[in-house]
Amino acid sequence: MSFGAMAAWQAALLLLAAGGAAAALFYLKVRPPRVHVASLLLWRRVLDQRRELTWWERVRRAVSLAATVLVAVALALAVARPGPRAAAASRGRLLIVLDSSWSMTARLPGGGTRWERAVAQARALAASAAGDPVAVATTADGLVEGPTTDSALIETALGTLSPAGGEGTAWPRAGGTDRVHFFTDGAVGRPLDPDVIIHAVHAPAPNVAITAFAVRPAATPDTPAEAYLEIDNYSDEAREVRVTVSRGTAVVFDEPVTMAPGEAIRQVMPLDPAGDARLRARVSSEGDALAIDDEAVAWFVEADPLDVAVVSADPGALALLLERTPGARASYLAPAGYAPDAVAAADVVVFDRWAPPQAPERPALLIAPSDVPWLTGDRPAELQPRWTDAGNHPVLGGVDPLSLDIVTARDVGDALDIVARSAAGTALVGVADERARRLVAFGFSLPDSNLAFSPAFPVLVPNALEWLARPWLSTVRRPGPVLLPGSVTRIVTPEGRPLALRQAGDQVLVTLPAPGLYLVESGAARSVIAVNVGDPDVSNLSQSHLDESVRAAASGNVPGGRPWWLYAVALAFVLAAVEWGTWLRRVTV
Amino acid sequence: MALRFEDDFLKKLEYLHVVSRRSFAGQNRADRLARKRGRGLEFADHRGYSPGDDFRHIDWKAYRRLNRLLLRLFDEEQDLPIYLFVDTSRSMSEPVKFDQARRVAAALCYIGLAHLDRITILPFDGRLGQENVPGRGKGRIFRVFELLERLESGGDTDLRETFKQFAGRTRQQGLAVVISDFLDPHGFEPGLKTLSAMGHDVFVVHVASQADRDPGALGEARFVDLETGERRDIEVTPALAEAYREAWNEHASELERFCGRYDLGYVRADAEEPFEDIVLKTFRKGRFLA
Repeated sequence: MSFGAMAAWQAALLLLAAGGAAAALFYLKVRPPRVHVASLLLWRRVLDQRRELTWWERVRRAVSLAATVLVAVALALAVARPGPRAAAASRGRLLIVLDSSWSMTARLPGGGTRWERAVAQARALAASAAGDPVAVATTADGLVEGPTTDSALIETALGTLSPAGGEGTAWPRAGGTDRVHFFTDGAVGRPLDPDVIIHAVHAPAPNVAITAFAVRPAATPDTPAEAYLEIDNYSDEAREVRVTVSRGTAVVFDEPVTMAPGEAIRQVMPLDPAGDARLRARVSSEGDALAIDDEAVAWFVEADPLDVAVVSADPGALALLLERTPGARASYLAPAGYAPDAVAAADVVVFDRWAPPQAPERPALLIAPSDVPWLTGDRPAELQPRWTDAGNHPVLGGVDPLSLDIVTARDVGDALDIVARSAAGTALVGVADERARRLVAFGFSLPDSNLAFSPAFPVLVPNALEWLARPWLSTVRRPGPVLLPGSVTRIVTPEGRPLALRQAGDQVLVTLPAPGLYLVESGAARSVIAVNVGDPDVSNLSQSHLDESVRAAASGNVPGGRPWWLYAVALAFVLAAVEWGTWLRRVTV
Repeated sequence: MALRFEDDFLKKLEYLHVVSRRSFAGQNRADRLARKRGRGLEFADHRGYSPGDDFRHIDWKAYRRLNRLLLRLFDEEQDLPIYLFVDTSRSMSEPVKFDQARRVAAALCYIGLAHLDRITILPFDGRLGQENVPGRGKGRIFRVFELLERLESGGDTDLRETFKQFAGRTRQQGLAVVISDFLDPHGFEPGLKTLSAMGHDVFVVHVASQADRDPGALGEARFVDLETGERRDIEVTPALAEAYREAWNEHASELERFCGRYDLGYVRADAEEPFEDIVLKTFRKGRFLA
């Protein structure tokens, strides 16, 4: 016999003390209340009569005593939590890992979900640990509880967990672990140590899912963009599916579709830039086992144009470029007319061959900036600099530096992170990705180079504008824990609730709880990111990466969902309530 | 306790008479017919003239017709002696019960005074208290109110001793109304028998409260007798409470049966019942008032 958090003698003492105290309290004579009556005449008459006691009147005192002692003993048992010791010798530390991928929320044919079955089996396993330290972890959250011998802590931890994605997160570790048990449906393949004991909770189930939903440039010149939707039927039979696509509050597509087994439907819808930027797709199908992949969202960025303020004495080709850049709305002012308030509403400010005396509060693109105190460092000029390597920063994505012919360039200073240098080491492109400021600086101007006539021009400037104003636009996210750059200051859920950000080194860790459109703030930049499941591994509930033998071992018999000591507490409360109620009615004593 | 009644209620009381099943000789002229012939207004009979009779009562018309001297006789209208015994023992100390007893006494007094009956209020506990005669006429009701308001509960109950003391005083026979809870450790029978044997028309008003009738399921309690101070620890179970209720009902039935057997009037005045209902309905139903 083992006990949850105490030695055997302590548990025995507790039981004896509780039972004894209850019995002593039962027999304790309390002073009865005084009741003044007009006369005891009738009471004497009643009491002097030889009244035959009923069976209940004879036993009720004993029943009350038994109930009182039972209440105390049940509570003491709930505290002591005795259980059978599985083995005489300790089997060492036990780590229970729960697969928290979204596919674990799939409903099982027999009722309940894969997750519920995994938690029930984990509970049974923890209960059988019999005094050995147990730790609980999930693939999304890492180590959650333990190692501890207190089974109540493990129970509580298991009760509070829920699937949270994390398909790509690292395998959780706990020091000194002797045995690792992994409860999974095998939907997401993971490299596992051979000594990990796998408990399969997989059972094939039908599912129709949205596996892709995004806005992409249109293949035809008629419209600037189109929405791409892909739906898969992961069932063994044909399914009637209703597909609905809405833009803002307007429904743009609503059709019933019959999908053959294993069929994938791909639908493209042209998008007009005028309109709401929020796109939502939904499929509904009877008997669907997984709900989280039935909805997907996308953000149509062209419907949300950037306000670009250009501070330049002569915008020239820059004005022409911005005029032809879809999703950009430019306004111009001369350096003499610049004031921070004048550009407060702009998403990005472009300073052409000039820089303000104070660092701008708004995200800014500096083209050949003049000397200002906040751009510190020695800024030597270089004639005919050679730029050969574009690097891998998003601002330089798609830029061919070899097509550029720069006459004069000036170092952008050491206040920025340099993302492109000349062969001689002059910093040609620098960025600042900080919580307080967002900057991109080019060390060369349009007149000092052939940039305006180069194929790199319509790539480099829009890249910079997008990166400055919408740093996370191109990021595709899945619900669950994600790591974001440390410059992220705030993330707001679709319901308007800010999420808790945890610092993890120079990055921030956030858990995106569900699919939807999230607002990400970084410095003065604000981006909307679409979070979707969109993963065939998750949605295909019939497939599993587990071995057939492991899957076959998946038991249909789920052990008792709740620990027995909870029932002991419930029994104590019920008995106490019954005793109280019957005492009030003088049925018991 | 304020015993003042509302005017409407007093008017209703004025229409009521205290009914005695027997006629008693009164002392003063009043509204109530007496057995003897006298000087009332209602013609009753003739009788032959005897020397010494008052000439004014000779029926001269009859003399002309019959040539005999006949005297005209009239019904005598006299008052009714009403003795109101009000139990002031400690068993009546429960306010709701005591107030009800005093209200009933006050109402009966008012009815009697309104019809010029002679009221005597006799508070009693283990012994008979000082008797109070407020006088005649309904204007005296305020004296009655003051008197009843001054009453305080105290002492034991001993009906036999009380009525023995009453018998010891020279009394004119009349209507004796006993207002009590009749929780007499010596029994109510000897006392009531004594009172009845004195030739009074006895009327019993049994006052009881909810606490008297039903102790409720109290569990363990220490009961204290208000009169004797005796204590008794009793665990009142639902079954025992039921047995008590039965015992009380038996006590009340016993009193009622006793009254029936000895031709005594009986009315129950539960303390929780509206007082007006008791006076205007229960008492009339019990033929105590008409």
